[in-house]
Amino acid sequence: MPGVPTVQEIEFVIEERRDGGGGGRPPDGGDDGDNNRGRRSGKPSPKRYYTGIAIGLVSILMFFMALASAYLVRKSGSKDWVPIHLPGVLWFNTLVLIASSFTMEQARQLLAQTFLSSFRKLWIATTALGILFLAGQLVAWRQLVAQGIYMASNPSSSFFYIFTGAHGVHLLGGIAALLFVSLHNFDKSQISISIAAEITSYYWHFMDGLWIFLLALLYLGK
Amino acid sequence: MYSINAFSGKLLVSEAAGVWAKQAMVTYDSDSGTNQPGKSRPGFARRSLFSTHHKTIGLQYLWLALFSVFLGMAMSLVMRIHLVWPGAHIPFLSALGGSAERFATLPLLHGSLMIFFVLTAAPQAGLGNYLLPLQIGAREMAFPTLNLFCFWATVASLVGMTAGFLLVPQKGITLWIVSVSIFCGASLCSALNFTVTTIDLRAQGMTLPRLPVTVWAWFLNGILGMLIFSILLAACLCALSDRVFATTFFPAASFLASQPAALAADSSLVLWQRLFWFFAQAEVYVAMLPCFGIVTHLLATFSRKPVWKERLVVLALCGVGLVGFCVWGQHMFSSGMNPFSPLVFSVLASSLGLPATILVLSWFGTLRNARLRLNTSMLFALGFISLFLAGGLSGVFLAGRGFKSTSVREDFVIGHFHLVMGVAATFAILGALFFWFPRLFGRHMNEPLGKLHFWLTFVGVYFAFMPMHWLGLVPHTGRIPGANLTTLASLLEPIRAFITAAILITVLAQGVFLFNFLWSLARGERVGDCNPWRATTLEWSTALLRDDSGARGPVVYRGAYEFGGLEVAEDFVPQDVAPDQVAKAH
Repeated sequence: MPGVPTVQEIEFVIEERRDGGGGGRPPDGGDDGDNNRGRRSGKPSPKRYYTGIAIGLVSILMFFMALASAYLVRKSGSKDWVPIHLPGVLWFNTLVLIASSFTMEQARQLLAQTFLSSFRKLWIATTALGILFLAGQLVAWRQLVAQGIYMASNPSSSFFYIFTGAHGVHLLGGIAALLFVSLHNFDKSQISISIAAEITSYYWHFMDGLWIFLLALLYLGK
Repeated sequence: MYSINAFSGKLLVSEAAGVWAKQAMVTYDSDSGTNQPGKSRPGFARRSLFSTHHKTIGLQYLWLALFSVFLGMAMSLVMRIHLVWPGAHIPFLSALGGSAERFATLPLLHGSLMIFFVLTAAPQAGLGNYLLPLQIGAREMAFPTLNLFCFWATVASLVGMTAGFLLVPQKGITLWIVSVSIFCGASLCSALNFTVTTIDLRAQGMTLPRLPVTVWAWFLNGILGMLIFSILLAACLCALSDRVFATTFFPAASFLASQPAALAADSSLVLWQRLFWFFAQAEVYVAMLPCFGIVTHLLATFSRKPVWKERLVVLALCGVGLVGFCVWGQHMFSSGMNPFSPLVFSVLASSLGLPATILVLSWFGTLRNARLRLNTSMLFALGFISLFLAGGLSGVFLAGRGFKSTSVREDFVIGHFHLVMGVAATFAILGALFFWFPRLFGRHMNEPLGKLHFWLTFVGVYFAFMPMHWLGLVPHTGRIPGANLTTLASLLEPIRAFITAAILITVLAQGVFLFNFLWSLARGERVGDCNPWRATTLEWSTALLRDDSGARGPVVYRGAYEFGGLEVAEDFVPQDVAPDQVAKAH
């Protein structure tokens, strides 16, 4: 019967607690108890940030997958679909975004070796590259507008604007996180700078990969 | 198996005084969590409105749900009364459904209030926020500030939806979509919080098999919410862009050109339907999952027995979440999808029967040979089972694709989902309120009033929604040769009036509840004992209450449902009672 321990189990637990001096391991060596140690005595476990970002990314992925499947369904059944020519600046933007992922990893390596000032320089470079990417996306929008392609012109252009727009908004969140890491005072913070940088990097690389997926979808699936 | 239970019973007789019977002296901290010593008491706004404490936020969600449920019920009354007596004039309420356009938006607002702010918010965000950290022995949710943001976003969305109803329909619908998007964002963040809290903030020794079933339900619901609300958000974004930027994500005409003529004329938006039902069918399970957990929990506590086949129940809850995610096409049999896909969805929808059957069997297994404590809370849990079975059986008909929507009027579907989703879930929420009221407010709700409320509601909803099934079947019987249609039609009006009367009585019965709730808040019998229901989970633990500002959290030593030993006065062992204390008593 689940939930009802046998007498042997309880005796084992009692023995273990005597050995451990109390409070060490969870009573049955459970799957997670160790991570919670010390949670009550001050700082909460930073593990929640890792779990949070992992689950959050799955949710964001689901959001873009819903849009991507809508794209495919909308395209396959329609007669009003006119494919658009992707602006050339997108390829440059993609390179910029990939480069920002590299500088970010470099920065994190420097942080691990506690070269704080060089870390900051590279981190700011990453932020600048991110902002450059967003500016490039705006240029792409301007180029489309110059061609007379607006959001409502055609379903394919609507999808282009909504994909790039939604990705851009998510990337803005990433830039906010980058700025948080460079500007926040981590001395009194619950979270350390290396953890904050690591969480930000997961998000950033995910946005990088997501953009490549979206670009492939827009280019190959037009 | 029962040796251990008899053993715990003995423990309670002798050792209880030292461990957890000193509970009368412990005061409740239901209002806020900022009760740490040495800190000055913050002002009202910080303490109540903008507190990040999980208990405060949970209660705020419950108040929001209480407000919404009465608003929503007023709307259903207006709809029913106007259906039967179109000329009737009710002061104030009639003005709500005055013009034709506004009357048409009444069902939309009724549905969105009830589904979003009552069925989704109350059992998950309300009770979950309050109780999940307590039940797993955490001091807070994983991201308290995010939690505060979620609550206020939910309030904004409620205001938006209600305001949208008062605007002209064109603007109103846009505002409605914006409000739903905001609600999606709030639900996503809230689901993230629940999931991370359950994964990372459990107390020492609170392993996965030891989690109460309620926590499992909230957790699985969090995961499900993370997946489906992002889809609704994407769909809302496209719909909003269609309205504001004149894009054509959901074209009315061109997309349906390839559909059969009858459907194209219907001009339903298939892509929107897909995205919407992808969300909405799973939303049913988002509303039901916490209720399953709550009912299982209540049944075990008041049957004084462990949950029968607890692991199987947890697996069944996982199954409900998983399959619930896959049945989105079930609602679109008539929408002209690929002819093979209805079969797939039909099979999937029927396969939901398996986890549901497991849950029902476990409930009956728990009830079998139990010495039931039939208080109001337990009555509502039993009422839930009854409604779930009744509504679920009609759902079996709907899952069969032979039973096409053309042959069933919408009344059948309305009756079905009100019984299985709306009313059943409300019963679980009410049962939970009666059960946790002492923990929430330190007082009991009035039992005789509660029982009166239960029986009036129970009879009322059956009288309202069962005849609605029959109404829905009328065109179906009309196809039988020889059936006299005029006789049938003459029967319809009295049935409609009967339903309206039943709904009127049910709504009035909720007045009994409202009175009981408010009266008990102020004058209810004070809880003399910290653990009035003799329950095992951590939220009733005296040690935890006393330790609220202490450095060390609770340690969990056993599963959540250690009941048994019928021959002794006390028959349970709380989760945080150490085995050496148990051994000493032994």
